[in-house]
Amino acid sequence: MSCFEGQLASWVAPAPIAKPLDNARTIAQLVAEYSTALYRVAFSVTRNAAEAEDAVQETFLRVLRHESRLGEIRDYRVWLVRIVWNIVLDRKRRAKTRPEGEDIADHARTLHSSDRAADQTVISSQEHARILALIDRLPAREREALLLSAVEELTTAEIAAALETTESSIRSRIFRARRELAVLLEKEGIPR
Amino acid sequence: MSGDMHSGSDSRIEAAIDTALRGMGSALPEPGIEGRILNRVAAERMAMEAEPARNGWLAALRHTPRFARQALGLATTGLLGFLIVAGSVNHSRRVGPGRVTPPALDLPGHGIGAASAEHPAAPASTPAPEGESGRASRHPQHGRARIAPHARKAPGVALPAPSSHKSSSPDSQE
Repeated sequence: MSCFEGQLASWVAPAPIAKPLDNARTIAQLVAEYSTALYRVAFSVTRNAAEAEDAVQETFLRVLRHESRLGEIRDYRVWLVRIVWNIVLDRKRRAKTRPEGEDIADHARTLHSSDRAADQTVISSQEHARILALIDRLPAREREALLLSAVEELTTAEIAAALETTESSIRSRIFRARRELAVLLEKEGIPR
Repeated sequence: MSGDMHSGSDSRIEAAIDTALRGMGSALPEPGIEGRILNRVAAERMAMEAEPARNGWLAALRHTPRFARQALGLATTGLLGFLIVAGSVNHSRRVGPGRVTPPALDLPGHGIGAASAEHPAAPASTPAPEGESGRASRHPQHGRARIAPHARKAPGVALPAPSSHKSSSPDSQE
């Protein structure tokens, strides 16, 4: 078999990772490993538990539809974050409303029960909601970088890859976002 | 004193922002989210497997790697181009200039006309019948037909000279 024929055979032959059984196993692993992180990414935009979970499910449905490309993906975490990020931004754009009707129960769920007692000394649940509302008033680029930086599992490099920019740009966006948010909070007056 | 108050306010604001972001970034989904996702994925997979039974080769093509599809497309385009060129060349060789035959003129009277007479493939001219004087025999009541001096005649057809030429010729005066 010549070199060209060997190359052609490797092209035409299905990739080993594209087998359905392998793909199903890979997707199950991805769900086990990344569903919580993806939920947090979605929740940072939707601020609604049901919508965030629906976005995560939609993410894995898209993975299923493109499962033949699973072998080509280098960084699953960034790939999945990008998918869920696009889904929630798209939904938000379609709804054309900011998450104003936030449920206090959803906010309460965001605080770990163990942390809640300590955090209550700093801010109340209402104050928490106010800060999140102020975050929504930030410019889009700064807001997106700040929201993704809040997700525990994501590093600056991964945020930069997900938003298709550089790490230094992400750092400066986060810095500007925090500074602007502090100004807004100071204007509004933080309760003591 | 005021600076201390200002820095204290700043640190409190920073702490409030940190707490809000930490709370949002550590949100926990309802228990069992993984099972619900896997159930939905399995249902979708079953629907997808049931659907492409109708157009199986399209589904197979969809699952082929992109570079293989591009290679296949290029090969198909090249093959089509080759077939077109080869067919054209073959056709030109079969219908060469040496074998070209003129178009047949389908005229009544087997092509005895001015156009067909000049054509190299025209049939040979017909000789005049014995005992008759060619075209003049058509008008027996009015005497002999007049043939214009510049009229062309087919070779081998004998026609009498026009009467006017005959009367004015020096031979007739003698």
